[in-house]
Amino acid sequence: MGQPVTYIQAINQAMHEEFARDPKLFILGEDIADGGVFRATEGLAHKFGEERVVDSPLAEAAIIGACTGASLVGMNPLAEIQFADFITPAMDQIVQNVAKLRYRSAGAFEPHLTIRICTGGGVGGGLYHSQENAAWFAHEPGLKIVYPSTPYDAKGLLKACLRGKDCYLYFEHKKLYRSIKEELPDEDYTVPVGKAAVRREGTDLSIFTYGYMAQVSLQAAERMAEKGVNCEVVDLRTLLPLDKETILASAKKTNKVAVVHEDKKTMGIGAEVASIIQEEAFDYLDAPVWRVCGPDVPIMPFSPPLEETFMLNPDKVVRELEKLAAY
Amino acid sequence: MAGKGNKASGAAVKEKPRPKTAEAGAPDELNKEQLLEMYTLLFRCRLVDERARLLFRQGKFKGNFYSAVGQEATHVGTLYGCRRSDWVGPSHRDMVAAVVKGVPARDIIAQLYACQASPDRGKTTPAHFGHKDYNIITPSSTIAAQWQLVTGVAFGLKMQSKDDICFAYCGDGATSTGAWHEAVNFAGVHKLGILYVVQNNLWAESVPLRLQSAAKTLADKAVGYGMPGVVVDGNDVLAVYRVAQEAIRRARAGDGPTLIECKTYRWYGHSEIDPAKYRPKEEVEEWKKRDPLARLEKHLGEEKILTDEKKGKIEAAIKKEIDEAVEFVEKSPYPDPGETFQHVYAEE
Repeated sequence: MGQPVTYIQAINQAMHEEFARDPKLFILGEDIADGGVFRATEGLAHKFGEERVVDSPLAEAAIIGACTGASLVGMNPLAEIQFADFITPAMDQIVQNVAKLRYRSAGAFEPHLTIRICTGGGVGGGLYHSQENAAWFAHEPGLKIVYPSTPYDAKGLLKACLRGKDCYLYFEHKKLYRSIKEELPDEDYTVPVGKAAVRREGTDLSIFTYGYMAQVSLQAAERMAEKGVNCEVVDLRTLLPLDKETILASAKKTNKVAVVHEDKKTMGIGAEVASIIQEEAFDYLDAPVWRVCGPDVPIMPFSPPLEETFMLNPDKVVRELEKLAAY
Repeated sequence: MAGKGNKASGAAVKEKPRPKTAEAGAPDELNKEQLLEMYTLLFRCRLVDERARLLFRQGKFKGNFYSAVGQEATHVGTLYGCRRSDWVGPSHRDMVAAVVKGVPARDIIAQLYACQASPDRGKTTPAHFGHKDYNIITPSSTIAAQWQLVTGVAFGLKMQSKDDICFAYCGDGATSTGAWHEAVNFAGVHKLGILYVVQNNLWAESVPLRLQSAAKTLADKAVGYGMPGVVVDGNDVLAVYRVAQEAIRRARAGDGPTLIECKTYRWYGHSEIDPAKYRPKEEVEEWKKRDPLARLEKHLGEEKILTDEKKGKIEAAIKKEIDEAVEFVEKSPYPDPGETFQHVYAEE
């Protein structure tokens, strides 16, 4: 094991190692050759050249279109969307071409790419630097969506995407970038796409969560333990396709379920998790599935008390878990 | 519809059909056999497309069809002589690009019928034709989305120092989309090997060009992206060919993309369910007089390259191929319903 690294260092390491391993890998995005807004691509252009670390015009649809097309002729594209808020101009490409080209050609054309997307709030980013909109894309079979919550997973999942044959949206939470550190193995490893991780074993209730909220949920679970409630925390890690097996096993084990996510409640990932559980583990439930989510307002407001009201934190999660435990 | 070519390109602009097609002249490098081959391709496009329309109206296949009749010279003129490994990003009206690339009629008719023998195994709609074996990308219906994809292909080819090139097609309406401009701009920046071919047929479904763009010509848009923009009579296959050859040379040499505006016209409605009553009859009749097939035919007749007998043989051979294709396809089964669930992911 080496020195502890941050989440963003883990992402950077993954790219450096995969660029060295795969000569067909390139990255296209805004402001990346200089190291990126958050320094995720630090050192890449210097080491691998601006032919492979390409600053794009300020045009998100062109980034995704160029990457998707390049994948059809044997390149291995990595796109960077600087903020999830800015992904909307590329929506047509992602939804109509990336997600559908394989299907509409009956597998004759095989697009594959990874799109790194900086996401999430709670850092004073305001309306258009805080959105966590993974759920928009979770309605699109043909895409795979991963969302690490730890440095280990950040590195392992990114490597898995860069070696995979599908189209991956890789969400990375900016509040996690430098807030946690972890020692990573020296040897090469990947984290499989499509597998959730049980972060904390528990017996009294299950929390299904992802991203920054996985860290918040772990803190809430420790507080609940002090109150005598033993929570299991399941980090979904992959949002599309969901790991139904792990979700159902945990729900059946604890009989009480909460879903915790930063994004808006209505039509969110939590709604899908709740549906899977009621469809396939209805008889095991001792309480309704509890949704602890962001509020249904259009966007995360900027002023500190407004942002705090929008964001979940351990206190808020504990309050809801107490209600669930007492149900 | 006044239009002038981008002077920088030095390309000839022909606003009206020349009174004698012979004036068009054949590019020097085309010999008699090649001219006949080009004529045969144009004829094949016409007959395949007309048969598709007939089959639709006979109720033989569902969905809809977007005829390219009247516009075939834009496909033949640009793609004639291209490599099979060159890439095509077609729109819904470019099914006949597949004819020029050498796709057998059987595959095209199979696509119309959405049967198992279709290159896409019945997944997408009749006119949205793609074929991996010929590097023709299956298009999305969102307009100009294919320009993004095929631009990406050109980017990937350039990164690997390959000299295969790309051909992107769209109508005049597509030039209003953001996707179009982002793609063309990107290709300009990276000097990609691509021909952007705009088939300006004056109508985007029912919307006239004057409500689409205030630009003097659509080729003028090239100026903003640092590439040559050329206006050409899109109903003169030899003129299109000449312009395309220069663009192809540039593309293969790594000198960058070219925007080619082909002034042309679709004879029929936007689709088979569109009676196109928004267009003045006189306009349609005027354009039919500029039929690209008839013009080449007249020219080749005057040059003693094409005789009635020869024409009869060519026509019979094409019709035979189409008849056999229809016969084959009508006996072909639909895809297995289970295929609904296939081809979602590489790794299931």
